[in-house]
Amino acid sequence: MTSHQTVNIVMIEDDEGHARLIEKNIRRAGVNNAIKHFVEGTAAVDYLFNAADGPAKNGPALVLLDLNLPDMSGIDILQRMKESDSPLRRTPVVVLTTTDDKVEIERCYDLGANVYITKPVNYETFAQAIRQLGLFLSVIQVPEPEDGAN
Amino acid sequence: MQRTQRRVNRAIFFGVAVGFLMLALAATAVVWAFQRTQDYSERVSHTLEVEAALAELEALHERLEAARRGYLVEVDPRFTETFDSAIAAMPVQLDRIHDLISDNPGQLERLSELRDLIDRHQALLRDSITEKTAGGTSISAATILDEEDIAIVERIRALSQEMTAEERRLLVLREADERQGILVSTVVATLAGIVFLLVAAGTIWATQRTLRALAETHRELHRLNEDLESAVEERTAELQRANAEIQRFAYIVSHDLRSPLVNVMGFTAELNASIKPLNDLIDAVEEKDPEIIDDEIRFAVREDLPEAIGFIRSSTEKMDRLINAILRLSREGRRVLAPEAIDMNALVEGIIDSLRHRADELGITFTAEPVPTLVSDKLAVEQIISNLVENATKYLKPDRPGRITVRGHKQHGRVVIEVEDNGRGIDPRDHERIFDLFRRSGSQDQPGEGIGLAHVRALAYRLGGTITCESALNEGATFRLSLPMALAPQQDVKT
Repeated sequence: MTSHQTVNIVMIEDDEGHARLIEKNIRRAGVNNAIKHFVEGTAAVDYLFNAADGPAKNGPALVLLDLNLPDMSGIDILQRMKESDSPLRRTPVVVLTTTDDKVEIERCYDLGANVYITKPVNYETFAQAIRQLGLFLSVIQVPEPEDGAN
Repeated sequence: MQRTQRRVNRAIFFGVAVGFLMLALAATAVVWAFQRTQDYSERVSHTLEVEAALAELEALHERLEAARRGYLVEVDPRFTETFDSAIAAMPVQLDRIHDLISDNPGQLERLSELRDLIDRHQALLRDSITEKTAGGTSISAATILDEEDIAIVERIRALSQEMTAEERRLLVLREADERQGILVSTVVATLAGIVFLLVAAGTIWATQRTLRALAETHRELHRLNEDLESAVEERTAELQRANAEIQRFAYIVSHDLRSPLVNVMGFTAELNASIKPLNDLIDAVEEKDPEIIDDEIRFAVREDLPEAIGFIRSSTEKMDRLINAILRLSREGRRVLAPEAIDMNALVEGIIDSLRHRADELGITFTAEPVPTLVSDKLAVEQIISNLVENATKYLKPDRPGRITVRGHKQHGRVVIEVEDNGRGIDPRDHERIFDLFRRSGSQDQPGEGIGLAHVRALAYRLGGTITCESALNEGATFRLSLPMALAPQQDVKT
C-alpha cells in the first residue's frame, strides 16, 4: 500500500469469534493495518459515512463485510456504499460470509462487491483463505476518498 | 339413508313387476272371455243344427208316410220312387244327427231308440207296400190305422221332440254358464285393469321421483365437484406455502448453524496449535528439572488435550456434513423443475458408465433393460437413479458377485423404474426408516451420513412420484421408483 495514508480495514462482523479468527489470520499474513471492528450494521454505516475518522471523510479504507447482521442485512450496506453518488462507491468491499448460495453471490457481485469469499467451516481452509486474503490485501491498491464528497 | 333408498328402490321395482303381471292377467281374462263368447255362439248354432236335422228327419218321415199313403191309394211308380229316395236319405240324416250329438250319451240313447223305431216303422211301411203291389187294388184300413204303426209314429215324434227339448235345455244351461263366465272374466279384467292403472300411476310417480332425485344428485355432485376443485386449489396453495416455509426454515437453520461451527472449529484448531508450545515447554522443563512436572500435567498435555480436541473436531466435522446435507436438501427443494423428454436408456447407460471403473474392480455385472421415455426434470431423475445404483454397488454381499439390474415399464399412465441388486438386503423393519434423513440400516461399514435416500425420496415426491423398497436380509433389494409419465410444468414457488 503505497498511498501516503494508511489503509484502514473496516470489519463488519456480528460474530465475535469469527472476527477474532479473521483478525488473527490476517495478522499472520503480515498485514498490520488497523482493523476497526463493528458487530452491528447501524454503527458500521454511521462510521463509514459520518465519522470524522471514517473512510468517507478521511482516508482510504477496505471493507470486510458479513451479510448476516443482527440489525440489517450486509446487502443493504453494500448497496448504500455502491450507489452511484456514494463517496464510498470505489472503496473495495470483500464480502466474507457463511452463505455459498448462488443467488446471493450473484446478487453481491451485481451490486458491486469486489470479492466474495465463503467462510469455510474447515478451519485449515478457513485460516488459509483468510491468510491469502491478507496477502491480497497487502498488495491491492485502494483509491483515495473523493474530494468534496458530501 | 342408503338402506331406505335401497328399500324404496326395491318397492318400486316390485310395484312395476306386479303392474306388468296384472296387465298380463287382464289380457288373459279378456282373451278367455272372448273365447267363451265364441264357444257360446258355436254351441247355439250347434243346437240349431241339431234342431234342423231333427226337423229334416221328421220331414223325411212325413214324406215317407205320404208316399206310402199315396201308393196305397193309387199304385203309381212315382210314389215308390219318392218312398225309396226317402228311405235312402233316412240313414244319412240319422248319421248326421249321430255325429252332432255324439258328446251326449242321453241323446245317443234316444237316437238309437229312434233308429230302431224308424227301422221298425219302415219295415211296416215296406210290408204294406209289398202287400199292395201283390194284392189287388183294395185298401185295408187296418193297414193305415194299424195300432202298432200309430204307436211307433207317435213314439218317433215324441222322441224327436224330446231330443229337441234336450238340446234347448242344454242351450239354456250353457247360456247361464256362459253369462257367469263372462261376468267373472269381466270382473277379473276390470280388477286387473284397476290394479294396472294404480301400478301405472305408481310407476309414473316413482319414475318422476327417481328422475327428480337424479337431477338433484347431479346438481349436488356438480356443486361438490366445484367445491372440491377449489378446496384442492386452496389446499395446494397452502401446502406450497407450508413447503416454502419449511424450505426457508431449513435454509436459515442450516445457514445459521454453520456460523458458530466455524468458531468451534477455528478455536479448536487454535487450541490444537497451542499444544505444541506447551509440549515444548514440558520437554524443556523436564530436561532441566523433572521434579516440577508431575504425571498429571504430562498426561493432560500429551493425552487428554489431544484426545478432547480430536473428539471436538470429528464431531464438528460430522455436524458440518449434516448441516450441509440439510442445506443441499433445502436448496434442491427450491430449485425450479424443468420438465423435458428424457431418454431414460441413455441416462441409465450414462450412470452405469460413470460407475464402471469401480464396478469392474468389485466384479459387478450391470444389466440395463429398456426403460420407457418420460417427461420430467432430468437432473432430478438422474440424481435419483444414480443414487439408487450407487447404493446398490455400495451394499453388495462380499461373498457373491454383484448383479445390478435397472429396468422399467409403463403402468397406469406412470413409469415404474426398478433398481434391483443381489446385495445384503435391508431388514423389512427398516424399509420406511432408510428414507428418513440421517437414518441408515444394517452394519455401518460404508461411509455415508444417511442422506442419499432421504434426498431421493424428497426428489421423487417433488416429481410427483413415489419410491418404495422391497427387500429381505441377505436377499438383495429392489427399489421401485414410480414417476408420472409427464410432469406438468410448475409455476415457480418463490421462497
